[in-house]
Amino acid sequence: MIRTSGTLVAAAAALMLTAVGSNAQDFTIGLSNGWVGSEWRTQMIEEAQEAAQKWADKGVNVEVVVQSANVDVPGQIAHVRNFINQGVDAIIINPNSPTAFDPVFAQAKEAGILVISTDAEVSSPDAIYVGIDQTAWGAAGAKWLAETLGGKGEVVAINGVAGHPANEMRVAGYRSVFKDYPDIKVVNEVNANWDQAQGQQAMQNILATYPNINGVWVQDGMAAGAWRSIMDAGKTDQIAATGEIRKDFLDLWVENNLNSGASVNPPGVMASALNVAVLMLQGKELKTPATAGQYGNAMYLPIPFIDKDNVKEIHAQLEGKPGHYSYTSSLSIEEAEALFQ
Amino acid sequence: MSAIETGTSQRPGLAALVERFPFLPALVILLALLALNGWFQPNSLGFRAITGLISTYLALMMLSVAQTYVVYAGDVDLSVGAILSLVNCVIIVLMERWGGGGIAVLMACALGILTGLACGLLNGFVVAVLRLQAIVATFATSIFFTGIALYVLPVAGTPAPTIYWRTYGGRFFEIPFVFYVVAALAIVLVMATRARLTTQMLAVGDDAFKAFQGGLPVTAIRLKGYMLCGVFSALAALCITGDTASGDPLVGGAMTLYSVAAVVLGGTALSGGRGSVVGSVLGALIIGLISSLVFYVGTPSQWQNLVQGLAILLALMLGVMVTRRVQR
Repeated sequence: MIRTSGTLVAAAAALMLTAVGSNAQDFTIGLSNGWVGSEWRTQMIEEAQEAAQKWADKGVNVEVVVQSANVDVPGQIAHVRNFINQGVDAIIINPNSPTAFDPVFAQAKEAGILVISTDAEVSSPDAIYVGIDQTAWGAAGAKWLAETLGGKGEVVAINGVAGHPANEMRVAGYRSVFKDYPDIKVVNEVNANWDQAQGQQAMQNILATYPNINGVWVQDGMAAGAWRSIMDAGKTDQIAATGEIRKDFLDLWVENNLNSGASVNPPGVMASALNVAVLMLQGKELKTPATAGQYGNAMYLPIPFIDKDNVKEIHAQLEGKPGHYSYTSSLSIEEAEALFQ
Repeated sequence: MSAIETGTSQRPGLAALVERFPFLPALVILLALLALNGWFQPNSLGFRAITGLISTYLALMMLSVAQTYVVYAGDVDLSVGAILSLVNCVIIVLMERWGGGGIAVLMACALGILTGLACGLLNGFVVAVLRLQAIVATFATSIFFTGIALYVLPVAGTPAPTIYWRTYGGRFFEIPFVFYVVAALAIVLVMATRARLTTQMLAVGDDAFKAFQGGLPVTAIRLKGYMLCGVFSALAALCITGDTASGDPLVGGAMTLYSVAAVVLGGTALSGGRGSVVGSVLGALIIGLISSLVFYVGTPSQWQNLVQGLAILLALMLGVMVTRRVQR
């Protein structure tokens, strides 16, 4: 009996606290990540958690609740439903599917929850996307490669997972660039599933099949593998290839003076999305509404680029970080505020 | 004296009960998990939350039932997730081609189920007729089915007609549609438990050689198991299409091993010969409730995978321990 009344009092107190707290601006934001296979994802969540803490200086208390596990698509739909049950104010999701969340996002919106996807775009009209444009990401690397090769030569592409939306967008990105360089010939395109070892193997096969290639367009961690093969074959001086953003690779790049350039997909995208989310929860309006992209709900963040001009400087910035640490960037609170009215 | 007597009479009673209903341990674990979920997040036992739980995990329930029919006979099917993806893409593309009206939706669903049946037939052919190792052969066909799915729908997208997912997520007479599906599934499964084919499959799983000597058409029975598996995988695809309202050639890939886990959690022996489809349905829900619980108790994100894995392992151990003790 006493325990029950105690619980009741505690519940009442908690209710009052929330009531008072909402005046002082308390927000609960749910972060959902459906794949934990890379350090990049871990860094993405850690940076978002740090970004949430920074709001305390502004008198805004942002509590972050995280669901991060290897799940299938229904498992991640369950993430969203758990957040709805818990009554969060906003959900930021790195989605496992671009289209599968339409119905559940509609339910979240009905429950008054703001939904933002990051890193991969979603088709839902009830969500917005805050992240980089994967097509532009692919195009930036291709442009660097085409210009480095002086607009001519034989090129191969090593891609990620066929059918994965980010991969398809990146492929569309490089194709649109190479189309404008008639003397650049894409002699082969292979899939290495975003796996470093498969990237290395694919590159070995390519070097054996096409001894005269001049350039390689390759994504993410596969770039480190591909470069290993290029170095093993003693062709470091003859081939230009795109790179990636982990410290391990930047070490390799600087030490061996590789002819490389890397589009940056920073793990800070989720932190940027979080800052945008808080401002939206405060009721602020974007200066330019999020209407970009194929689904008309995207707000694209700038894509940094690393090449020979800035690689030494960036490498120096990452001094002391672990080898798997990715070069990052995100919108600070002030930078995000500048995007709002 | 009387104490001993009741002791001895209760034990076989419980044993007989578990023998007759192998899913009982799973049911107890499920109820415990429901209670724990409710304790840590009272909203999770609300009507809306339970409806959400069912509509999210209905696909995995169907897929686990599919898996059970091959496990009965001591086989396994690592292509169920790929069949699900393929059927998902096929019906999405057909519904779009045919304009998305009511009849188009029904015809697409029928063709989707036929697609699942054809996939099951192929699996059954290579495993039961050509006698390739089930685990390797269905792994190979899974890659093949994924390839066809990618051909049918190269990249995730293409929305389902509104009528389709509104029906799946909607209500009739104030009761959510998914509840009717669960009720229909329950009736079908209870009837199937009594069917002769189930007994035959279990006999093959228990000892294929003896079953053969006893005059059972072993090859045909295993083939039928794979066909049933294909059909239920297709039904799972219809559910996932309802919950996701779109096509995705890679949607089912990660679900295959969850279906195997659900089967084992439900008290079915992977070696075949013993088990129940009802248990697999409960097993699918157990997996769903474990992952919710891991979140509701406030596990830090870097530990969620680990804790979820341990919890599934614990549930497996509990089930196996009970079953072993009873069998002894």
